[in-house]
Amino acid sequence: MYLQGQNGLLHTFRVSYRNRGVAGILASLSLIVFYLLLYFTSVLDASVASLGFRNKWVFYGFLYTIAMLIGAAYYLSRHGNSRYNQLRILINVSVQIVLAFTLPLVMPLFGGPEFYASYLWPLDWYKMHPGTLQSLPVFLAVYVILGSLVAAPLLAYFYGKRWYCSWVCGCGGLANTFGDPWRHLTATSTRSWRFEQRAVHTVMFLAIASTFLLILEHILGASHDGFRRYVAGGQWWSLKSLYGAVVGSILAGVVGTGLYPIFGPRVWCRNFCPMAALLGLWQKLGRFRISVKPDMCISCGNCTTYCEMGIDVRSYAQSNQSFTRASCVGCGMCAHMCPRGVLRLENVSKRPRDKIRQGLPVVDL
Amino acid sequence: MHIVILGNGIAGMEAALTVRQREPDWEITVISEESHHCFSRTALMWVATGQLSHRCIEPFERDIYERLQFKRIRARAIGIDVETREVWLAGALPRVGYDRLLIACGSRPRPAPWPGREKVGIGHFVSMQDLEWFEKELHGGPGPAGRPLFPDAHVTSSSVDSPYYPRPSARAQRGSPPKNPVVVGGGLIGIEAVEVLASMKIESRFFIREEWFWPIALDSREAAWITSRMCRHGVDVRLGEQIESFLGEEELVTGVSTDRGIYPCDLCVVAIGVVPNTEWLRASSLMLDERGGIKVDSGLAAHLSHDPERDLGIFAAGDCASVRWYNGWQRPEQLWYTSRDQGRLAGRRLLGDSANYERGLWYNSAKLMDIEYTTAGLVNMSVEDERSWFFEEQGSVHSTSRIVLSGDRVVGFNFLGRRWDHQILLRWIEEKRSLDWVLKHLGEASFDTEFVPPLRLPEELPRALPEDGDRSRSTNAVSGF
Repeated sequence: MYLQGQNGLLHTFRVSYRNRGVAGILASLSLIVFYLLLYFTSVLDASVASLGFRNKWVFYGFLYTIAMLIGAAYYLSRHGNSRYNQLRILINVSVQIVLAFTLPLVMPLFGGPEFYASYLWPLDWYKMHPGTLQSLPVFLAVYVILGSLVAAPLLAYFYGKRWYCSWVCGCGGLANTFGDPWRHLTATSTRSWRFEQRAVHTVMFLAIASTFLLILEHILGASHDGFRRYVAGGQWWSLKSLYGAVVGSILAGVVGTGLYPIFGPRVWCRNFCPMAALLGLWQKLGRFRISVKPDMCISCGNCTTYCEMGIDVRSYAQSNQSFTRASCVGCGMCAHMCPRGVLRLENVSKRPRDKIRQGLPVVDL
Repeated sequence: MHIVILGNGIAGMEAALTVRQREPDWEITVISEESHHCFSRTALMWVATGQLSHRCIEPFERDIYERLQFKRIRARAIGIDVETREVWLAGALPRVGYDRLLIACGSRPRPAPWPGREKVGIGHFVSMQDLEWFEKELHGGPGPAGRPLFPDAHVTSSSVDSPYYPRPSARAQRGSPPKNPVVVGGGLIGIEAVEVLASMKIESRFFIREEWFWPIALDSREAAWITSRMCRHGVDVRLGEQIESFLGEEELVTGVSTDRGIYPCDLCVVAIGVVPNTEWLRASSLMLDERGGIKVDSGLAAHLSHDPERDLGIFAAGDCASVRWYNGWQRPEQLWYTSRDQGRLAGRRLLGDSANYERGLWYNSAKLMDIEYTTAGLVNMSVEDERSWFFEEQGSVHSTSRIVLSGDRVVGFNFLGRRWDHQILLRWIEEKRSLDWVLKHLGEASFDTEFVPPLRLPEELPRALPEDGDRSRSTNAVSGF
């Protein structure tokens, strides 16, 4: 039987490992150490090979998928009484198993590339590099270009960026399953919002600008040797290596996943993911919104607390203001937790004028 | 201009925000006995289980008092001198003078009327201090995420009759969580206490004086569904049973005696409603209603009973204010969002505007166990020529819908299990729609989350039947919502 709303009361704040207790800190440290070993050393190579994996990335994909499966079972045992949650997690996990694990595992056996279809540019920053595109079969190159530049923005315009961040993306999928125990730890303060806006748009700008530079390098590099070395050289200080190390390894891996038990599961998605930032702009222009049923909010704070993106949903709900926030990944948890059924995720073509609170602005930045 | 606000609940804070928005330089003082920071009382149950922390239930960021320069005094107000325009505080603190005063001191739990009520292990579940007591009984103290922002040192220096006076807990003597907890009172606070216990897998006994749960809002069929949910969680729901006394060894509660028998009890939450927190005003000659609510005019101004014409510069808002209802009643509206609306209006009155409080038709919502509830209009209010249409959906979604008619006109809605937009329902009532029209358009008022299958009514619809008196007995005891 489907019911709306959280089924039963949670003990979130009484569980030490979920509240930056000793177990939480140890979990975070282990994750950080794992990611440092994975990205910056070859310590794992020998044991990975002895387990029969082709390379450590396949091994990592395997662990990732297992973590998502266990996390999904955990998530559904807590919030699985809602159809939205069921469908979303089911599709997200299926995408991980099929597109992000099985296909890249199997394709090379038939002479194809190790292609991760569910990761698009600019999240997978290398995908749009002329060199990468040239190395792919034509249909996959077309898929990358159309998917990243046309389909993703269009879908975000019509349905919000949730179609990607909460239904398809592996980073989002891990956050929503394995990371679910810590979703309440995401900071909700105005200060954290300011940091998010600066950080995420900076990374987005860097991702786009450096992609342009790489394309430029591809066109002009042959005649400008210095430029080629700075942009696409093999040294650690070249743009290509630096972006990969700082954004791809440190921000997405070590910080983004390593700090789940300290700062919540969406540190990467919220503050650093260039894809989330770009789709967020389309979302802001588009049709997705969280609709607020006026004058019914009791300011309990369940929505704000369980928002993994740190959006102060309550401040909108208690001001009777339907809203679209660029960062919202549409996980639906605010509507799910609301004990009064005040919130609903919607795709609307027309925006009715909502009653705006006569008092202070909702958030005074 | 010095504005003094008694109470930093939602009514007091909304008033303070409204004043500050227009008058950046006025002096605003907020006096609160219960808590340092404004919190959402409706969310106490989630703190008790650990679903939320203390910080989570604060609707405003913690720097708001400093940022908007609200001076904060934590003390118990014990009287008002309307001649010198001063508020008296407990604990020999200096009096606070005011130019305009807002009383927004809320409700207090209705005390248990039964002998033995002073025994240790008996308490309520309304205030921050009640929460502290309840958490201590259940968990032996607060959870990892916290306690209130500041300790309540001043509360012990205020009088024992204060509703916020700390209550001793039986946890130490018992040495474990309660094994035979009892909850008394079939309303929202009662079911919240039951839910908290159920979430800890503690089986409780729930005494309801009436024949079914929450009769002022539900009919017997709707209540039966909620009751079956409670039973499934191991709650022993005792309907139509009256408490007669508490039993105990020395000061500790060990049992309850009812009109049907004696039951073991090592913890009791008395949740038989709330009353305006206004005994401290008895000596002030402010006009109070028979429930103790501060009688206010349409502009929320309070008056002296012997000199009603005089302009006192005193207003009241929230649970403690007795206002005029849409149907002519004069009584407090003990709801979260009416408090908020009254607070905003009181803020404009404190600024010197003239404004009238106009309450529209009744609506409300709640969550009972895991079943959501929405109501709009005149439900269980005994309207003229009352008929009702009832449909129970038993498919992939379980829901009940009850539509109340007066003659041919739809006047009220009561829904369980699905989400509805009360604003559309209220509009239909104002448009005097017929049952046929409403059933045809019902889908437009749906507020279900995405992918929930829509409510499908069968071809052969049940007809609207005249109300039999039992099923939705009207009562005037509207409190504790």
